Amino acid sequence: MKLVTYIENFEELEKLIALDCKTPIEIIVGATPLTRYSKTSLEEMLRLTGIAKKNNIDVVLEWDALNQEEKFLNSCDVIDRLPLHEFKAIRVQDPGAVEYIKNKYPWLKIQLILENGNHNLIGLNKWCEYLGEQCERLVLSNELSREMLRGYAKVLKTPIEILVFGRILLFYSPRKLLSPLEKKNIEVKSLEAYGSSEESPHSGFPLIENTHGTFMFNVKDLYLLDHLDELREMGILHTRVDLRFDESFNNYSEAVMNLFSGTVSENELPFKKIHPRPLIKGFYNINKTDVLFTKLKNKRTQRQDVNYIGEIVDVERDVQLALMIKSDMFDRSLIHEIRMITPEGKEKVVQLSWIKSSVGEEVHSAMKNDLVLIPYTNGITVKTQVYLNSKNS
Amino acid sequence: MSHWTPELLSPAGSLEKLKVSVLYGADAVYLGGQKFDLRQASDNFTYEELTEGVEFAHSHGSKVYVVLNSFLHDKDLEELPEFLGLLEELKVDAVIVSDLGVISTIQKHSKLVVHLSTQASCLNVESAKLWQKMGAHRIVLGREVTIKEAAKIKKATGLEIEMFVHGSMCMSYSGNCVISNYTQGRDSNRGGCAHSCRFEYSIDFKNESKESKKAYFMSSKDLEGIRMLPEFIEAGIDSLKVEGRNKSHHYAGTISKVYSEALRYYRGHGNFLSSDMISWEEELRKVSHRDYTTGSLDIYAGDDSIYNNREQDDNEFVVSGIVLEASVGKHLLVDVKSAFHPGDILEVMPFKGQTEKLKVDFLRSLSGVSLEKSKPGSVVKIPYIPGAEKFNIIRKRAV
Repeated sequence: MKLVTYIENFEELEKLIALDCKTPIEIIVGATPLTRYSKTSLEEMLRLTGIAKKNNIDVVLEWDALNQEEKFLNSCDVIDRLPLHEFKAIRVQDPGAVEYIKNKYPWLKIQLILENGNHNLIGLNKWCEYLGEQCERLVLSNELSREMLRGYAKVLKTPIEILVFGRILLFYSPRKLLSPLEKKNIEVKSLEAYGSSEESPHSGFPLIENTHGTFMFNVKDLYLLDHLDELREMGILHTRVDLRFDESFNNYSEAVMNLFSGTVSENELPFKKIHPRPLIKGFYNINKTDVLFTKLKNKRTQRQDVNYIGEIVDVERDVQLALMIKSDMFDRSLIHEIRMITPEGKEKVVQLSWIKSSVGEEVHSAMKNDLVLIPYTNGITVKTQVYLNSKNS
Repeated sequence: MSHWTPELLSPAGSLEKLKVSVLYGADAVYLGGQKFDLRQASDNFTYEELTEGVEFAHSHGSKVYVVLNSFLHDKDLEELPEFLGLLEELKVDAVIVSDLGVISTIQKHSKLVVHLSTQASCLNVESAKLWQKMGAHRIVLGREVTIKEAAKIKKATGLEIEMFVHGSMCMSYSGNCVISNYTQGRDSNRGGCAHSCRFEYSIDFKNESKESKKAYFMSSKDLEGIRMLPEFIEAGIDSLKVEGRNKSHHYAGTISKVYSEALRYYRGHGNFLSSDMISWEEELRKVSHRDYTTGSLDIYAGDDSIYNNREQDDNEFVVSGIVLEASVGKHLLVDVKSAFHPGDILEVMPFKGQTEKLKVDFLRSLSGVSLEKSKPGSVVKIPYIPGAEKFNIIRKRAV
């Protein structure tokens, strides 16, 4: 299993080399103009790359910022000036970046970041088909469950990678949202903060503002290091550990390397106790983020189309009900009984002794969008849906 | 001589709102079925409603685009082909999609025209080229793109380009926000957005011991692009989209009316030098809205695009009701949305032209009983005024 991690400075790289990890390692490097959270300059990034390569470490360049056209062209200029042959591959998310690399550098392998959405095999296959051999890896979403990952790993020919430890990005805006609160009238390169809301059950969302905009992360970090054996068995051989925040590299890198080298077991990892935020498995066990949808609206006020007649729009107690006809035609000679379902779910079947127009004249039929009056029925309220009683049909 | 203008694309959160949008001037409407879109809390359309909606829109010369822009999971996709067949039978004009798996499924099972949703955050020429190869016929650009950039994208690709002209805005790049997923257990990219960006947050800056700062720092002002219409036209933007399927009839009607009138004026005159410009802007302030901004239409949205205020409902006007029936010379039947009283002065919004004042000289129930007050969720009779038609919006200045 390959350990994929980020390196941001010389200190981290030296430490990584000194640890002499026994498992294959791939490092991701970035630079401020291209990479979402990177504080590394282009020159520093290139020097890091050179040193890593001398130490036989695979280096991948990350270009994961999303860019509108004007900024995108600037990023392309930066890319064009880099010695791209020095990198094992490039990681990209913006489809524009994908297209640019595909056409201009067809020899450069792409690690395609599909972390927002891309939750179906048909789409994943299509991406692989489009990029062909150039696609070296798919970096998948941490909203995918174990079962989905297992299925994808089984079928996809392109290797897949997932995050197994690190911050969970919740929100990415190009707008600078923290600096207006600072009001220092000076250009700041980067701001960090924590946000809490009384309207949210959680507090302490980490926030970053930098040249690319504003990022918000979950209050709990993803932790799947106790599932490495399972992932390996599933065929997921690239796992990413993100130690870029909270001094994590300094504090945890040795333990992580030892874990991947097999010299310590997961339950011996010391940092779980000192990590500043709770750790979660996210949606790894199950993703049920669509089950609450049924509660977002009252299905009983929505019409079921079989035998549908219309909706009660007015109730005059002990006098009449006003029914808006929503079916093609309403003919009393064909309808003797109607079934009414209230918004609360109560059902009433009643016989129609009369129908009147809106001006009170008795009628025998009505057309779609006509308003008719029918006898009052106790317990029926506005938004009650009216159907031909199925015995009539 | 008629000058070219873009299509006006309005929201249709329900069948009734579709009719309102179309009658008030929308060239096209977009709507969702019971699944596959991003407005799970919206009424949306059953198959019969969709059938009626498409018939209604087409008979009035308006197009219908169906939104399928969720990021679907494998199990969701299994149900999609059947729905696509229904959409083809109904001859909808296009589907709006953000997920590559959905696009592939559409291409395999239908010949439906694909519009790439803003949810895919297409922001640049190269991105548009990629989506074009994937089968997109039109791109709904991310709201972060300027009109000038959109013009470049159109010129470089030849694709139809759609941009938002009015309505609420995500602060995040669309499709790149999963706050609801992790905090509420609701997938924001499958229709469960809990609007956490509108909450007030207390912000503690790292390495500062100062007091927390309270702010609605992630809440964006609403987009208003009426003053940018000349730029949209000059750039050749094909379609101008109004956000708001969850919003009211009043909103759907007013925004459709204002923008369609402005565009109609341009078709006749080749400019927007109309004395009505002021009244159009005034009308846009009469519907529910946050403070307005031009977002990134001209330059990238800056500090002044942040609303930083609580959600409130202090509208200048409230909707009194919708006309259900106009009995010429006798009365109007009104589906009451908010209370009014005998003697009140209401405004009736015709589909075209100036609003008409209407004094409530009588207020009666359907059986003719005089009422002291109308009750929301009831139907009442009020005086007829010439020109009033079914689906006209009736409103009242808020007290």
